[in-house]
Amino acid sequence: MAPSLADPPPPPAHVRAAQIASRDAGVACSLLPVGTLIELRDLARYYQMGDERIAALDGVSFAIEAGEMVAIVGSSGSGKSTLLNILGCLDTPSRGEYRLAGNDVQDLSDDDRARVRNRQIGFVFQSFQLLHRATAQRNVALPLVYRDVPARERNRRASEALARVGLAHRQGHKPFQLSGGQRQRVAIARALVTEPTLLLCDEPTGNLDSETGKEVIDFFRELNAKDGVTLVIVTHERRVSSVAKRVIAMRDGMLVETTDEALAAAHGSGPA
Amino acid sequence: MMPAGNLARMVVANTLRSRRHFVLSAFGIVIGIATFVVFLASTEQVASVLEKIFPVEQVQVVAPRASLLGKDISKKLDDGIVQKIRARPEVDRADPTAVVPRMGLAFPAMGRGDFEGNDLKFEVGGFADGINPDYVSDDDRTRELFKDWDGMTSDPRRVACAPPPPDPQEEIIQSPPAPKGSHSQPGVYYNPCPQPDRYYCDDVDRTCHHRVPIVMSPTMIELYNGQFARSHGLPIAELDFVKFITSRGGLSAMRFSIGLGLTTIAGSNSALARKKHRVEGVLVGISSKAMPIGMTIPIQYVERWNREFLGDDAATSYSSIIVRLKDRNQIAVFSQWLQDDLDLRLEDSLGEKFATALFVIRLVLILISLVIITISAINIAHNFFMQVTERRRELGLLRAIGATQSDVLLVVLGEAALIGLIGGLLGVALGWAIAAGIDAGSARYLPRFPYKPASWFHFKWWIVLGGLACSTGFSVLGGYLPARRASRMEPAQALTQN
Repeated sequence: MAPSLADPPPPPAHVRAAQIASRDAGVACSLLPVGTLIELRDLARYYQMGDERIAALDGVSFAIEAGEMVAIVGSSGSGKSTLLNILGCLDTPSRGEYRLAGNDVQDLSDDDRARVRNRQIGFVFQSFQLLHRATAQRNVALPLVYRDVPARERNRRASEALARVGLAHRQGHKPFQLSGGQRQRVAIARALVTEPTLLLCDEPTGNLDSETGKEVIDFFRELNAKDGVTLVIVTHERRVSSVAKRVIAMRDGMLVETTDEALAAAHGSGPA
Repeated sequence: MMPAGNLARMVVANTLRSRRHFVLSAFGIVIGIATFVVFLASTEQVASVLEKIFPVEQVQVVAPRASLLGKDISKKLDDGIVQKIRARPEVDRADPTAVVPRMGLAFPAMGRGDFEGNDLKFEVGGFADGINPDYVSDDDRTRELFKDWDGMTSDPRRVACAPPPPDPQEEIIQSPPAPKGSHSQPGVYYNPCPQPDRYYCDDVDRTCHHRVPIVMSPTMIELYNGQFARSHGLPIAELDFVKFITSRGGLSAMRFSIGLGLTTIAGSNSALARKKHRVEGVLVGISSKAMPIGMTIPIQYVERWNREFLGDDAATSYSSIIVRLKDRNQIAVFSQWLQDDLDLRLEDSLGEKFATALFVIRLVLILISLVIITISAINIAHNFFMQVTERRRELGLLRAIGATQSDVLLVVLGEAALIGLIGGLLGVALGWAIAAGIDAGSARYLPRFPYKPASWFHFKWWIVLGGLACSTGFSVLGGYLPARRASRMEPAQALTQN
């Protein structure tokens, strides 16, 4: 049975603390994120294949609080990537509602969705998606090109983001001069350079060895704990989902209960 | 939408990054634009040469020749006809030189002059006409000197003088200026007038007259350069008249004596020989308004001389009337009116025929160039489709991190425009190099002939700008569909492509 919006999971301790501090201080905002960041109601995504209609997502409803770290698990074809695409405004639902930070997203124009992606969302992909002939710094600065940020400021912010992922000494290197782990860290720096409220990761450790994968996971955990960045990670790997504060399991386009058995079934034979 | 500066930087970076794609796309444009500018520059040059030979902006009204029992009964072109033509709606009445009558010298005359040490004698009767001086104002020198000096009453140099002694041999020898100092030879007649380069002593009224100003057509210079100079071992004359004349010591080198009523053709018109009258002339300029083969002088001189030798009728009858119409498309209407109402006709204009032929040739050449450029635009479209497919993931990534559809469209169109612009510049440079090569070959291997140009090409600014606009425009056109496809790509699908 899919979890309902009426019964969202309690926010993490630090978010609650921030909410209380904010309330007591009587200020309108706080340093840490508060409230519901993502709300989905009866979301569906259909694809037409000839005469047949395929439901990649079918009646998905849940909410994610700001500052949460959520893993979405499920076997291949369960609809988790489709869900991530919709959460990232890369795709639009065929039915249902999607509210991001209190705003309806499904009715936005294509240009507005591009602006939402640029200002509020960071993406980390399994295959890094770096520009091969551009340096690490240029790759990281790329999202700022679509804002009115001067070149010098772009480079400064890109250098800062690279320093944040421990690659200050590699900013002049091109992707082919970097290891897999370093490439993924460049991709993470690119996702962070716009200071997004939501970080969406699609199998971020899928192309990494276990040691490098662990480093990336530790970085995510630290990012979530220290900076309060909301993370939604699509993964096959239990070691990734195990560090999430909440796990959403999917099967055949629908949410399933997140019992240990269901999770084991959702992970299938993925690495522990 | 992304800031324009960032867009430009991204376009340049992407273009530099894919050099192979750039070369493949730009190659066709370079060839197309090179042919485009070479074709246009060559036809432009041919047109300007043709206009020198045949001024195409005007028509010439003539009376059809008719005779009865050996007597010329052709319709007379007089001032009445001129007024009727001037009143026509096809003619620009505000322009005083829109209708210009010409009057031919209607009796025999012969010329004699010294040119580069050669004593030249030539026939003037039939090869000279008169024209309104206002119509001939090609340069400052012509404007200053080409006028009716004899008609001026206030010329202070019209002083009394002793003419040369009678010349029983009718040699019409020019009067040389007196040498400086005391080197005058006894028994030799020297020009006694002030400014002997410009004035001579007239036999009839025994006063100093300004030399008769003469203009010649560029055709005469070309005939001289192409035939006469070579056969007589004389130097080539530059069409830049000022340079030509100053290099030969000013006006004194281009003087002629004209024997009115005399002829180089033995036995002809002996009745008129009794009235001979020697005048002196000077060449003051080269003008396309001059008669093509012969010399042209202010019409007032011809009127006076025709009256002096043949009577009033010859002094009021024009040989032709030059008419400049408002629009060349009105020639047919004007010609019909001439024929129906005045029984006159337009002289067959070779220039008109050449201009039409040139227009067709130019059209064909432009079409050929456009076909080449269109093919290169299709080639660009093909290359860009391939590139958009190759760059699918990259474009998907750009969309994922915030590029709008218009950002992607503008980036791809910008790359196409840049390829077009650089291809256009290279094409213009290639065209110019081809032209320089042809000119060098022509100067070295082609013998001189009348109107042979120093360059076969005239790269006017509008040709170069047109070439660049064409290359950029066609390139953008070729890149549009691929750009549209790139911008409409679903980012989620593009990112998952293998």
